[in-house]
Amino acid sequence: MTDEYLMRAVRDGDLTRLGVLFERHHRPLFDFLYRMTGDRGAAEDLVQDVFVRMLRYRATYRDDGRFETWMFRIARNARADHFRKQGAAVYVPEDGMDWESEAPGPARLLERARDMVRLKRALQALREDRRELIVLVRYQGMTHEQVGAILGVDAGTVKVRFHRAIKELRDAFTRVPEGE
Amino acid sequence: MQCDDLGPRMLDYLAGALSDDELSAIRAHLTQCETCRDEVDATAELWGELGAVTAPRPDSARMRARFDAALQGYIDGQSAPAARAGRLPLAWREQPWVQLAGAAAVLVVGVALGRFGTQPPPSNPEIAELRQELRDTRQMVTLSLLQQQSASERLKGVSSSSQIEQPGSEVVSALIETLRHDSNVNVRLASVDALRRFGGREGVRRDVVEALPQQESPLVQIALIDFLLEAEGPEAAGVLRRLADDMMLDKAVRDRAARGLRQVGL
Repeated sequence: MTDEYLMRAVRDGDLTRLGVLFERHHRPLFDFLYRMTGDRGAAEDLVQDVFVRMLRYRATYRDDGRFETWMFRIARNARADHFRKQGAAVYVPEDGMDWESEAPGPARLLERARDMVRLKRALQALREDRRELIVLVRYQGMTHEQVGAILGVDAGTVKVRFHRAIKELRDAFTRVPEGE
Repeated sequence: MQCDDLGPRMLDYLAGALSDDELSAIRAHLTQCETCRDEVDATAELWGELGAVTAPRPDSARMRARFDAALQGYIDGQSAPAARAGRLPLAWREQPWVQLAGAAAVLVVGVALGRFGTQPPPSNPEIAELRQELRDTRQMVTLSLLQQQSASERLKGVSSSSQIEQPGSEVVSALIETLRHDSNVNVRLASVDALRRFGGREGVRRDVVEALPQQESPLVQIALIDFLLEAEGPEAAGVLRRLADDMMLDKAVRDRAARGLRQVGL
């Protein structure tokens, strides 16, 4: 069953179908929100918030709408509201705390890990809209067209903005001191 | 083509997703413009490194329990028939996702009891059975997601594979298949990352080496070089030397291979 079929069923009154959509999407949604907030607890709360909003606003889901696009629009709004409530959206990235240790550990991985910490800091130093583009394309595997649908702009605009975001990330990366 | 035209096309170029005409135009420009060559190299390296910036895994069992409570509260508030019956409809409980979440929840409760109970049992076959059940379900979910048409679903499948503690050979084979044949460069890149933990297996390294010539994207080629370097297998030096000397490859790939050779002391 497609996401769209399930969401139409939710909209038409079979609310329990939202559980299937939760299982399918809570992980990528958490990933997106974690990378945008840098806060694990906030990301988990926001995932809940997104699904509660889906229940409340289910009547706004259109027959021809792609579920994922609709979901990420809701997620962006939820995140924006979260930042508004928090005041200034400044947070300290949890450097080194959340590294997954799947790879084996030869000595050169240490250098790589340091670079990863620097890169993570550089990502967090980016403007939010720039970071969002990188997160959607690089970590959610979306095409420029899909990102455009979420942001409400055409794919060409996404390409130009994305290129700018990558350039700024490179600049930010070089500005983060080595050895931290 | 001018320098300004390259930027918005760079990612498609690195992903090997351009038409032949556009590809030729960019290659012609790169032979003449050192600045753009450097920019392509730097972007390729950055793109590969971004893949290693991981996020933590969510506590799915806890989140699911919260979601179920919120959903049930909402349904109760609406006085829906299902809520009045005091239980969820059968179709709901028959969903494999629900069974997976249920198994995960029972596992979490079991582990918590084992850890905090006054008399923890020395071994619990039920927990072992649940673990096995959870692993089997995750494998099934992973394999199913990897077959989906949508790239983001397949990306979820690759990500899901990393949550399986000791995946069976069918999951590893599915990841290799993804690396070889997936049409989306980000999915292929994710599969390289997911295969890293199997770098110690000779068969996996052999499959990765065989998959290399099929890859047209410099991003994936660079990720595979990194894979071989991390795996530290005996085949790495020979493969890297071939790549470093292959003038048909993007300069960023040749440079990465040459740097890799220096890393391994050659």
